[in-house]
Amino acid sequence: MDIFGAAFFALLTIGTIGAGVGVVLANRITTSALLMAFTFLNVAGMFVLLGAETVAMFQVLIYVGAITVLILYGVMFTPQSPRPYGLFFQTQKYWAALFVVPIAIFVAVVAFEFRDSAAAGGSGGDLVPLATSIFGDFAFPFEVASVLLLAAMVGAIVLVKRDEE
Amino acid sequence: MPVGPFGIDPTIWAPLRLVIAVLLGVALVFNGALAQIYLERKIQAIIQDRLGPIHTGPWGLLQTFADAIKLLGKEDIRARLTDKWFFLAAPSIVFSPMLASYVVIPFAPDIVGADLSVGLLYLTTLGSMTVLGIVIAGWASNNKYSLIGGLRSAGQLISYEVPQILSLVTVVLVVGTLSMVGIAESQPGWQMNFLILPLAFVTYFIAGLAETNRNPFDLPEAESELVAGFLTEYSGMRWAIFFLAEYGEVTVVSAIVTTLWFGAWHGPFVEVFPLLGVLWFTLKTYFFVLVFMWIRATLPRLRIDQLMSLCWKVLIPLTLANLTITAVLLLAFPTTVVPVAIANWILLALFVLALPYFQRRRLVALRERLRTAAA
Repeated sequence: MDIFGAAFFALLTIGTIGAGVGVVLANRITTSALLMAFTFLNVAGMFVLLGAETVAMFQVLIYVGAITVLILYGVMFTPQSPRPYGLFFQTQKYWAALFVVPIAIFVAVVAFEFRDSAAAGGSGGDLVPLATSIFGDFAFPFEVASVLLLAAMVGAIVLVKRDEE
Repeated sequence: MPVGPFGIDPTIWAPLRLVIAVLLGVALVFNGALAQIYLERKIQAIIQDRLGPIHTGPWGLLQTFADAIKLLGKEDIRARLTDKWFFLAAPSIVFSPMLASYVVIPFAPDIVGADLSVGLLYLTTLGSMTVLGIVIAGWASNNKYSLIGGLRSAGQLISYEVPQILSLVTVVLVVGTLSMVGIAESQPGWQMNFLILPLAFVTYFIAGLAETNRNPFDLPEAESELVAGFLTEYSGMRWAIFFLAEYGEVTVVSAIVTTLWFGAWHGPFVEVFPLLGVLWFTLKTYFFVLVFMWIRATLPRLRIDQLMSLCWKVLIPLTLANLTITAVLLLAFPTTVVPVAIANWILLALFVLALPYFQRRRLVALRERLRTAAA
């Protein structure tokens, strides 16, 4: 990674962490949703710099293009009231700290374990390795996960349709 | 000191190249939009038996320039109760992904911004980001019509992404690469993918119409019911940026159609003069832009429930069946694509022949319901 790559990576890191903090601290839920989209974009940029373009594209396609829009959709259907105080989640600072700090330490330790591992190959792209691992090595867990998602979706439809009888 | 292209130091060339690419993209979008607005007016005029613009310049050619200058000179108005930052940001959120799409479009053998190995996925991804800007525009305007327009857009664009991606995947299965240059190179001479996968082309084109908010799917900005949908509160250049984005999207969708199904830059004499590819590519792309305009002048707008049932009950099953059949046939006959082509043409014929049948059945049901309501 050359000097530009390193500089961009630093910028993306600042963007990710800054926007992440903004998601928690912002007073309005629409601002939070947009900042979350910005965090996802920054993470996608990191994936590109690390040679994982396909993962980056799916990150943007699914999280920015679909999930954020769905969240905004939900927000827009909810009656808005101007709140002078923070959101529901911001009233639980101490409990949050209690859970977040151990997880953060654990993640940091694991991340530094991986420091010397080989980065994903630069030139060939990550499309073929990704495809072989999803549809070859990990085909069974992948299918189990999709069945789980299907069950969740059917359950959601049943819950919503209940009142029509 | 290392020397990069054109004798420029690589550390300077990398950012310089970015600047050049962005400027070229902007120039392409602005000029394309000017040309397309003129074409749109003239073609609608021809179809509707009128003259169209004739007074400003020869054949009215300068009319769009006059309009652009008028839009640039307009006051930038923002209603007091709109949501300031979201309102100001929405046009750029719609515009910038469209602009970024131009990076991977292959104009000629070597004239392409970047030959990404996941070029097609990149285009799909950027196409899906437009929704976010439209939803924000609708919400930030603090206007009921804008909000309904934004929500309709979200529902419509997310739904039509499914048949769109399924149609693209069918082509990728046959070609075996996601790179736009690779797909273009796989169709030399007259061996266009359209001859193999006509149904995927038809379904993609319908989904592309919906993705770009064009007639008959322009419900987010339906004038007759929603004033101007998510555009209601916008005026001047911000409004113009939305339209630049729409024309840019139309060009991108036409360029994808050209690349995937109609052989990209391939045409007579390209082997001798590679630069001629730009001409063939532009001509093919603008042919599909003209088809977009022809459809707009011909078809009435759908209702929102018709729009959704077309997507979920017709296009998605059709594209899924097409994808499955193509995959099975490709596995069964790894050396030839003739069975795929035959299956695709048969499916297309069934689709076209079944339309009048279902239309008639729907009409009969409608008449039945009206009769019972009257009795």
